[in-house]
Amino acid sequence: MPDKYILKKDHLLPLLRKLKKTHRLIAPVRNRHGDTLFAGIDNLDEVRIDLENQPQNSLKQFFFPQQETLFTYSNPASDSYHFEPVVEESPPTLYFGVRSCDLSAVLYMDVVFLKNVKDPNYQRKRQNTILVGLNCNDPFANCFCNATRNGPFIDFGFDLQLTDLGDRFLVEYDRSRGQEIISDWRQFFAEADDQDVKAQYQAFLEARGKFRLQVHLDQAVKKLARDEVPESVWEELSMRCQDCGGCAYICPTCTCFSISDLQTTDHAGERIRSWDACTFSGFTRMAGGHNPVDRQMRGIEKRFRHKLQFDVKKDNRPSCVGCGRCVNICFGGTDIVRFINMTCCENI
Amino acid sequence: MPSSSQDLYQPKPAEIREVIEENSQIKTFDLSFVDREYNDGFSYEPGQFMMVSIPHCGEAPISVSSTPLNGGTIHLSVRRAGKLTEVMHEMKRGDVVGLRGPYGRPFPMASLSAKDLLFVAGGIGLAPLRSVINTCLAAGHERRITILYGSRTPSDIAFKEDLASWGQTKNVTCLLTVDRAEPGWEGEVGLVTALLAHCSLDPHETKALLCGPPMMIRAVLAQLADRGFADGDIITTMERHMKCGVGICRHCHMDDKLVCKDGPVFTLEELKQLKVMELQG
Repeated sequence: MPDKYILKKDHLLPLLRKLKKTHRLIAPVRNRHGDTLFAGIDNLDEVRIDLENQPQNSLKQFFFPQQETLFTYSNPASDSYHFEPVVEESPPTLYFGVRSCDLSAVLYMDVVFLKNVKDPNYQRKRQNTILVGLNCNDPFANCFCNATRNGPFIDFGFDLQLTDLGDRFLVEYDRSRGQEIISDWRQFFAEADDQDVKAQYQAFLEARGKFRLQVHLDQAVKKLARDEVPESVWEELSMRCQDCGGCAYICPTCTCFSISDLQTTDHAGERIRSWDACTFSGFTRMAGGHNPVDRQMRGIEKRFRHKLQFDVKKDNRPSCVGCGRCVNICFGGTDIVRFINMTCCENI
Repeated sequence: MPSSSQDLYQPKPAEIREVIEENSQIKTFDLSFVDREYNDGFSYEPGQFMMVSIPHCGEAPISVSSTPLNGGTIHLSVRRAGKLTEVMHEMKRGDVVGLRGPYGRPFPMASLSAKDLLFVAGGIGLAPLRSVINTCLAAGHERRITILYGSRTPSDIAFKEDLASWGQTKNVTCLLTVDRAEPGWEGEVGLVTALLAHCSLDPHETKALLCGPPMMIRAVLAQLADRGFADGDIITTMERHMKCGVGICRHCHMDDKLVCKDGPVFTLEELKQLKVMELQG
């Protein structure tokens, strides 16, 4: 079976309609407020799939919700103190229009939640998923996946990958499920010819030249590894960070979480897991108030070191995927790009 | 470790069989799983911890203070420190808590057996070391054992029964000290480092195990270094805020290490690779 196909743009909706019969469909949808968000699609005729703008959210919330109930518990303190797992149905789901950054983030989350121990809630949501990616022809204003080396085009990790060639998509597969889609719906796909492959390469070259931000990520990684980041950088960042946690929440690879009990009656409650942020002072505070980390000064440092130093040491690559969302959201001016560039141009 | 992913975070009910009041701040809870079959198959190693669920309070990591060689016993010694431990301190025999675990890297017991052992503990820090000491003694450790234990005041001395019994064991030297004396106290007053200064130790034949407040740890480390102890022969156990206990939530991070998974037991050699509050002045 050839490895590159053409899907005419006219055939996209009919294909999605077919796939939707067996899968829940999640794609970037432009809502009536003008926001583009990954969202579940009930009726393809009533929504506008938006492949032009960057979705404000990533896929994180679908595999690792902002808040989820792990257990309900009942009869505390008695013999029958019992924790009942809350098992939500996770129907087969197709994620469509996933850009390289968000796709890479899912692969990173797979490592966090499935590599050493298997997180049951993540695993349930992650299995039976199909990832249909979209190479980025036009990186957005704050994108820097060229620096994190997972974009603008990606050649692994997806089931199917689309490249926009104007009136048609070039389609590649990396996993058997993608291959199956092409075989099952062969009528929508034509074999790609040399011209198509050349056009894809041309699109890649053009996309690579369109990044507006200069982000010296490799240099920052080196400086962190050698412990050469000036203390003044950390001081300025901690002073300016407003402790809102927005960067961690919006980040597709920030996966730290908290677990707590929510009492619902005298005899019952729920054990809840929710997103947390390592920049918060409570993140490491122990019972009695002692905190082994000076969060005021070191919280934001811990976050950047995790992404650009400790994960590099462990997995040989940073866990920032260059999506630029933290740059968009940070009103303190302490996003990761600001940090990287402060580190590398300390006199500016 | 949990056997399947489904029960990764699922606590099992465990009944309090006895509550031992160690002092006004520390109680030891003797627990066994309500599920008898599970309890019979359950084991742990010294240095490991359990995630303890207290109704409506969530979970906290507590290190096991008993020896696994004393079949079926799970002792958790808990200092009254926050909301969860406050509620736990009100619990009585017959009450039920939730437990999952054991988690974490234990003390390297095999490497201890042919060595002299030095234990230095302050306050609740004796809890995890008690598990090691009683395991060594139950296994018939033949080499010299020195136990130095510091408390704030004589009424703060915990694990009195153990201390008395260790004091009567042939190859064990067990010395106590307090920060502040009270009427009737005829023992040492001062820091554990003063006790340590009087102990004759062969640094090349001794493993040192420490657990206690950071101030104590730093002072003891300085003295052990002066006396020629190698960093790899000094072992301690770290305490951190935790949520998952299994290496995912990252609350217990210490640089690139996670205390729940890579620790809580670390050698000084390992800790020196990290920026650790306990080692910084």
